[in-house]
Amino acid sequence: MTTSAPTRNLNVSSYIAEAIRLEMEADDAIVVLGEDVGRQGGVFGSTRGLQKRFGDRRVLDTPISEMAFTGMGVGLAMSGYRPMIEIMFVDFIGVCLEQVYNAIAKNRYMSGGNVAMPVVIKTAGGCIGSAAQHSQCLWGTFAHLPGMHVVAPSSPYDAKGLMAAALQSDDPVVYIEHKALLLSKSADFAHGAEVPKERYTVPIGEAATVRDGGDVTIATLSANVRDALRAAEELSTEGIDVEVIDLRSVVPLDTATVAASVARTRRLLVVDEDYLSFGLSGELITRVLETLGPSGIEVVRRLGVADVPIPAARSLEEAVVPGATAIAEAVRAMAS
Amino acid sequence: MSNQLHEHLATMLRIRAFEEACLEGVASGEIHGELHTAIGQEAIGAGMAGVLRDDDALVSTHRNHAHALAKGVPLVPMLAEIFERATGLCGGYGGHMHLFDRDRLFSTTGIVGATLPVALGHAYAMVLDGSDAVAVGVTGDGGVNTGGFHESLNLAGALALPLVVLVENNDLAISVVSSEVSAAGSVERAPAYAARGQRVDGTDPVAVEAAFRAAVDHARAGGGPSIVEATCHRFRGHYEGDPDLYRSAEEKDALTAHDPIARARRLLLADGATEAELDELATRARTELEQALAEVRAAPAPDPAGAHDHVTLLPTGGPR
Repeated sequence: MTTSAPTRNLNVSSYIAEAIRLEMEADDAIVVLGEDVGRQGGVFGSTRGLQKRFGDRRVLDTPISEMAFTGMGVGLAMSGYRPMIEIMFVDFIGVCLEQVYNAIAKNRYMSGGNVAMPVVIKTAGGCIGSAAQHSQCLWGTFAHLPGMHVVAPSSPYDAKGLMAAALQSDDPVVYIEHKALLLSKSADFAHGAEVPKERYTVPIGEAATVRDGGDVTIATLSANVRDALRAAEELSTEGIDVEVIDLRSVVPLDTATVAASVARTRRLLVVDEDYLSFGLSGELITRVLETLGPSGIEVVRRLGVADVPIPAARSLEEAVVPGATAIAEAVRAMAS
Repeated sequence: MSNQLHEHLATMLRIRAFEEACLEGVASGEIHGELHTAIGQEAIGAGMAGVLRDDDALVSTHRNHAHALAKGVPLVPMLAEIFERATGLCGGYGGHMHLFDRDRLFSTTGIVGATLPVALGHAYAMVLDGSDAVAVGVTGDGGVNTGGFHESLNLAGALALPLVVLVENNDLAISVVSSEVSAAGSVERAPAYAARGQRVDGTDPVAVEAAFRAAVDHARAGGGPSIVEATCHRFRGHYEGDPDLYRSAEEKDALTAHDPIARARRLLLADGATEAELDELATRARTELEQALAEVRAAPAPDPAGAHDHVTLLPTGGPR
């Protein structure tokens, strides 16, 4: 996919593990808790090598007790630690959301700013054929609840840099890694494929324009960025010039970057692998409209999972989850 | 013994005076939300007082005032928080169910059962620190049937963490009689978690202190978790305004027989204390609270312009 082979061709999981390792080396306060994060190094390998490097106390294999170990993050943070809590699949958040949205997200506020909650909730989302209970994204759910930043990287470079930023943040950060990207290698990416070995951060809350174009703006995030870029390549052969913006974070949402693009293209397509209603797409479109005024946009569309659970069979899954083909079709309709 | 009980009586009177000051705030409308008092349960807070160090953590519930006072949380800022003042412990952002004192590692949550996972995190931090501090999680008899109780005690037992679970058992989860919906008492569950278990009369502050101190010492010495269950009686409704129709009038009238303050007074008088001396303790507590109330009432309400402060350090960029 890339024009020249990337210097390192590791999978995204390895870059995330590298980010955590570098931050843990720099800051003794960081501890990692979760299921299979230690001996196995995470079911997707994104904590691989950490327990060996930092020991089984700083990298704790927990029982299947999300309520307990997510709540431990609260106590650890109040005791001066910077816990990273791994919720293996974001779908499991239902069993421990209590500690996330009532404590981690609210303690700073409820304490009048006296108590910091530097907690990272690291969790895997996205569709890889695992059906309704192991395929959701849910970033809109976290974003709806005040008190947390929510990031979802799309590239190897951002996966490492946003993890580092999350671990350095004094605010709670929900880091949603896409399962399909975790096992992809640098060479599979047309953007952000080069990953330095050194420490660096990608600032939380800044979108990236990953492809310049003048006809239609696509705003999206996570694995859909790759789909949007593929669609844009195809559309360029048809004479449609697409700008692709990777939002990178849902909270904060970088409306300014999207609005500036739409001010030029006057066409906005929001692509969201999360549920369609009451979510990111509606929120972003509203904010862009509030910024530009109704006369600032000619065409608005959104693609999302239209309020249906994710089905199992590939034919059904492809029917509900937006991919490159659906994106290209939507843009064609908007550009005509 | 009588010196100790004398001191406990003073603490219990201070707790009751505090709760009664809060009742005043509800009646006057100065406290406009829910309020849960521990009137009738003061012996537990009194028994805990003085046992914990500043570097021990205490995570309490929606019924938390006595525990906060036991941990040494300053009374006036606490009362100011409950009275919704800018000078409150949390600037008026938390209110009575959400008290945080960072320096004393004291915090609360209004969600039943949610205290224990947080206390567990403190306990784990203490192990990471290599310190001999301990963490205490308070729950009621209602909270012991949440999943968090099981998850937290299992992990504390497996890792031998310095966690003390203090169960205030007033046998009422709002209106549901806990013993009727529990397959086993909390103390009976202790062996399953490799925990120490002890049940104590929660109207006897001397007994509470002994049991609580033993559990704290056990945790401090690296012995792992304990469950201390203090049986007690909630005199008022679950919250102020609770019609409390789940108890008969006779049942409620009978509660005064279990008043820990009257009990301590009786014992001290039998032991040679004078009425005047004990009345003086009560007067001292009431005077402290009267002065505190005056100070709190002189403080302003939080500035509404600050309602969006403290959500996150990095602005979220959302619409206001």
